[in-house]
Amino acid sequence: MNNKIASVVIVGGGTAGWLTAGRIAAQHRTQTASTLSVTLVESPNIPIIGVGEGTWPTMRSTLIKLGISETDFIRECDASFKQGAKFARWVTGTPDDFYYHPLMLPQGFGKTNMAAHWQALRDQQQVQESFSAATCFQEAICELGLAPKMITTPEFNSIANYAYHLNAGKFSTFLQKHCTEKLGVQHVLADVVTVNSADNGDIRSITTAQAGEISGDLFVDCTGFQSLLLGQHLQVPFVDCSDVLFIDNALAVQIPYDSEDAPIASHTISTAQDAGWIWDIGLIHRRGVGHVYSSRHTSEDEATARLANYVGPAFKNANLRKIPLPCGHREIFWKNNCVAVGLSAGFLEPLEASALVLVELSASMIAEQLPACREIMNITAKRFNETFRYRWDRIIDFLKLHYILSKRTDNDFWVDNRDPATIPQSLQQLMQLWRYQPPGDHDFTSNNEVFPAASYQYVLYGMGFETCYDNSSHLLRDTQFAREQFIKNKKTIEQVTRSLPSNRELLQKIHLHGLQTL
Amino acid sequence: MTQFVALHPQLHQQLRVDTSRIEALGAQQHLVPVVLSEFLKLVVHYPIVFSKNSETGQFVCSALLGFSAGENLFWRNGEWQGIYTPLQIMRQPFFIGEQQGQTLICIDVDSELLKTGKGEAIFDNQGQETSYLQQAKNRLAALINGESETQAFIKALLTLNLIMPMALDISFANQQQQRIQGLYTINEEALEQLTSEQLLQLQQRGYLKSIYTMIASLGQIYALIQKKNEQLG
Repeated sequence: MNNKIASVVIVGGGTAGWLTAGRIAAQHRTQTASTLSVTLVESPNIPIIGVGEGTWPTMRSTLIKLGISETDFIRECDASFKQGAKFARWVTGTPDDFYYHPLMLPQGFGKTNMAAHWQALRDQQQVQESFSAATCFQEAICELGLAPKMITTPEFNSIANYAYHLNAGKFSTFLQKHCTEKLGVQHVLADVVTVNSADNGDIRSITTAQAGEISGDLFVDCTGFQSLLLGQHLQVPFVDCSDVLFIDNALAVQIPYDSEDAPIASHTISTAQDAGWIWDIGLIHRRGVGHVYSSRHTSEDEATARLANYVGPAFKNANLRKIPLPCGHREIFWKNNCVAVGLSAGFLEPLEASALVLVELSASMIAEQLPACREIMNITAKRFNETFRYRWDRIIDFLKLHYILSKRTDNDFWVDNRDPATIPQSLQQLMQLWRYQPPGDHDFTSNNEVFPAASYQYVLYGMGFETCYDNSSHLLRDTQFAREQFIKNKKTIEQVTRSLPSNRELLQKIHLHGLQTL
Repeated sequence: MTQFVALHPQLHQQLRVDTSRIEALGAQQHLVPVVLSEFLKLVVHYPIVFSKNSETGQFVCSALLGFSAGENLFWRNGEWQGIYTPLQIMRQPFFIGEQQGQTLICIDVDSELLKTGKGEAIFDNQGQETSYLQQAKNRLAALINGESETQAFIKALLTLNLIMPMALDISFANQQQQRIQGLYTINEEALEQLTSEQLLQLQQRGYLKSIYTMIASLGQIYALIQKKNEQLG
């Protein structure tokens, strides 16, 4: 075998760098059978951006694969439980306007299409609740601020599916410790001075200011927005998507809780504003709140005023950070022997917490598909590029969906978002189909789907979309089964709201006693 | 209601503990926390399992008395049907409290056991401890020492992955099916795979006999099912 891949060099040490290093090292058991070396080179001078404070439930399996204890993770990363997102004021903008995108499938999903039944029974005034409330018990738990499990539930097990909110800076530090102490990742603190090419255009090595030249067989670019290896050195162009998604700036603050026993929301709250939206994420010691907006539709001063208004009196003591946000991704993500993971690959507004999940998916594919030798790497790269281009495109479609269904007219931001010229063809086609049939698994047939059909249902019907079933009565059979599912959901709500503790109570108990592993 | 008050010779001289009613306090408990030093007495009647404290999620050792919350199959016709009753019940109405780092003996002044005005005195006329109180103190001491010993035992077992969930699907005589969840037991497969060094350590700490007592006690589940069938029949 020629040119065996024996060393992986990861450049950049944020969550993207450490998650990728950890996944590769764990997969290849670098700490024991060291046929592969994993080195992470990190600048001691460049601060971590740390945008990702929300994860997907996939983070649970990622942590398991890294051999991390959930108790340690929750304690050391200020983590809390996240059971989906509440979208407030996205449709009409009035105070009572909200819907949920929970992390569990609608009751009965896969056996019958509940979206069709829900609409029919609602029209007959037999179901009063919104789609998410009628089909998924998670909305009720979130509204009551309850945790997704109990102190007796083992680590990573759940009663209701969950992801996490976390402190991204602490998460990086935590992963660094785990990767270096438990997984055999070598950590080099050094600034990259030059990137050195081989004759075939591959990256042969990097020259650093503090640690000299570091060579590798595969380089992972986790250098953040600067995309030092893939973008700058290998000249892979950036595909700008701001014609579809208009958000280009973020203003972020950290807000302490009013009191030590203040409730911790167990979901992300996303509240639409005139030219963007505000995220509100509850960690154990503080909330992270931020306003992302389109500078084409509002000014920084106005956006600051909106954020101040949302936060209230605590705003004046908060340290306001401004972060310009690119919108888009690299044309390809893997070129020659270099693959980009994280912000260096691209960034989209954090509406559905897609940043960390893309890191996990990338790290997972690199770890599991790591080419054995250079001669097959171009095939792996091609497959990686196809897979991730598909995923970025689907995420863009799904994010855009949240905007095109709004009825808001208070700012051109919303009007422009509904302009068909800004809507990708792929999404326009799906919207045409969904006028006559609800989203289903046939709409998403790739192995590389990011969002399931259920997610589209929650957003579509949460935002008041109507599907016409006049010619599709076959979708409305099984009415009896559907009625049973609605009743089952109500019963589950009664049961779980009796037994689940509040999100804060459970987090405090985990800090005090820990969760058992079984 | 329970109200714990530090035991006091003057305040509590008139109290009488109706010991005939102690066991009735456990009439509706299906799991009772137990300690290592009781194991050999418990195994005569009860399956000894691991369960989780619902407040802390921490493992405890428990005697299994019934198959669902509120069911104690050893309580029948107003009597505890057994020759040994766990310390956790027999210690009533006394508890260990803590004040400024000092442990002290407390009494539940709202306990049912104090309401009849009959039974054992705690202090005599001179305010001296009665022999009844001395026995009660011995029981409390056995419990408090036993709890830390049992916690160390559980910790050692968890470290060696020797605890596993217990799958218990029971069909009773009346065809009623029940799945019992939340119970754990010794993982015998993992036990067999321990190195001789690990086994020696367990033996030296005195844990090996407790482990085998727990395994043997599981046979009592059949006796418990029989009790349940008798009640159903």
